[in-house]
Amino acid sequence: MELAKNLNASVNKSFGKTDLLVDLAQSISGVILIGFLWMHMLFVATIVVSPELFDALSEGLDKYYLAQFGIPATILVIIIHIFLAGRRAPLRLRDLRITYRMASLMKHYDTWVWVGQVITALGVGIMASMHLWTILTHWPLRAATSAARVASNGPADITWGSFTFPYYVVFYVIFLIFGEYHGGFGLYRILVKWGWWERHTMGWVLKGITVIIVVLGLTALYTFTKIAANPALGGAIH
Amino acid sequence: MGRQITISCFRFNPNIPGDKPRMQDYKLEEYEGMTLFIALNDIREKLDPTLVFDFVCRAAICGSCAMLINGRPRLACKTMTRNLPSHFTVMPLPVFKLIGDLSVDTGKWFRDLQMRTEAWIHTTKKFDFNALEVRMDNKIAEEIYEPERCVECGCCVACCITANIRDDFMGATGINRVCRFIIDPRDERADAEYFEVVGDEGGTFGCVGLMACDDMCPMELPLQENLAFVRRKMAGAGLKLTFPGIKL
Ligand code: FES
Repeated sequence: MELAKNLNASVNKSFGKTDLLVDLAQSISGVILIGFLWMHMLFVATIVVSPELFDALSEGLDKYYLAQFGIPATILVIIIHIFLAGRRAPLRLRDLRITYRMASLMKHYDTWVWVGQVITALGVGIMASMHLWTILTHWPLRAATSAARVASNGPADITWGSFTFPYYVVFYVIFLIFGEYHGGFGLYRILVKWGWWERHTMGWVLKGITVIIVVLGLTALYTFTKIAANPALGGAIH
Repeated sequence: MGRQITISCFRFNPNIPGDKPRMQDYKLEEYEGMTLFIALNDIREKLDPTLVFDFVCRAAICGSCAMLINGRPRLACKTMTRNLPSHFTVMPLPVFKLIGDLSVDTGKWFRDLQMRTEAWIHTTKKFDFNALEVRMDNKIAEEIYEPERCVECGCCVACCITANIRDDFMGATGINRVCRFIIDPRDERADAEYFEVVGDEGGTFGCVGLMACDDMCPMELPLQENLAFVRRKMAGAGLKLTFPGIKL
């Protein structure tokens, strides 16, 4: 709030629309990504119903080029979202220090949640790239291949006595929780900024949805490990 | 006998050469109905006449006694010590210029805001001294009254990470101020003109939605509602969209 700013505001009248468009695009890209995430998790959860349903859905997505189009489009939106939302993250050391100090002083729930969003954003960014790399190098996605992937290094080993670290399961559990946290609270923040709804009620609704999706994801993971351990279902114990 | 309370006060006077920022403890006895305003005055009277802090109205009207009480911005005159633990801290508000100890200069900041948001009724009507004042619809009057209740204490600015990080962000109080004029039918500014006042990252589009302002406003203004309203309004104005039938 400097004098210069005032002068600028009164002399050089127009702000232009950039700030509006950037802010709007940030919110829209966020909504698209959370929509994608929830849909993705529902699709994955079809494995809980039956591997056949999972395969049929997966084949359908390939056949109608939805996957071929959807994946690059999603990657593009992710990149856009990183740039747009990233400009809001406290990145400079000075900003980090202020954020940490104020958040600890005030012990304010929503502010801490936001700090969590920044941290999970980092995690999701890294893990999403890893996840994309693994799925794209193991195309096409079918129940059996996905199960083998999830179960590699561990859980498919029925003999838990000779423990190997269940790398993929741990990876996906963290990825799932981070993704849902970032997306769930991200949507909350978008609705707080734009919406008409009282935020506490809305927060609980979104938390409810997030918990359901996380439970679905964990169940799907568990099912994958079971399939991988069962040759009758096409599983191949590594 | 009342409870013994210990108040850790931030002490630093930039006008005293060589003075260093520190926390200083004051012990005093609490009594019935004690507000932090009373407690600090007790300290100044009985324990330490050098302690600097601001008060005017002691009735949550002037907004000059805002400070960080146990880390959260609140009005000292509206805070009962009995609702605080027996040992708590008081610090000056961040963002604003420190005058000394607990006193900050919110005046300059709010004057800047006043200028920047052009917080006055813009009208082409000539004022007629003899005419009866035009009547206002009661519903609108009540709607205006809500954002108008702001006492400019600066709590929403102090607790906002965005305002702490970026010194050009006008904070919830600024956006709320514009909201007040948008509602007011006497202000003839078009939405496009308001857009020039708040339609950038220093205004409505800089808000990240942390809602500390909404949680900590001592006047309990509906800041979430007002901020979202201005945001929608300004998005509509910027994109030149109108939504007939939808209440923004
Ligand atoms: S002294 Fe006026 S608001 Fe506290």
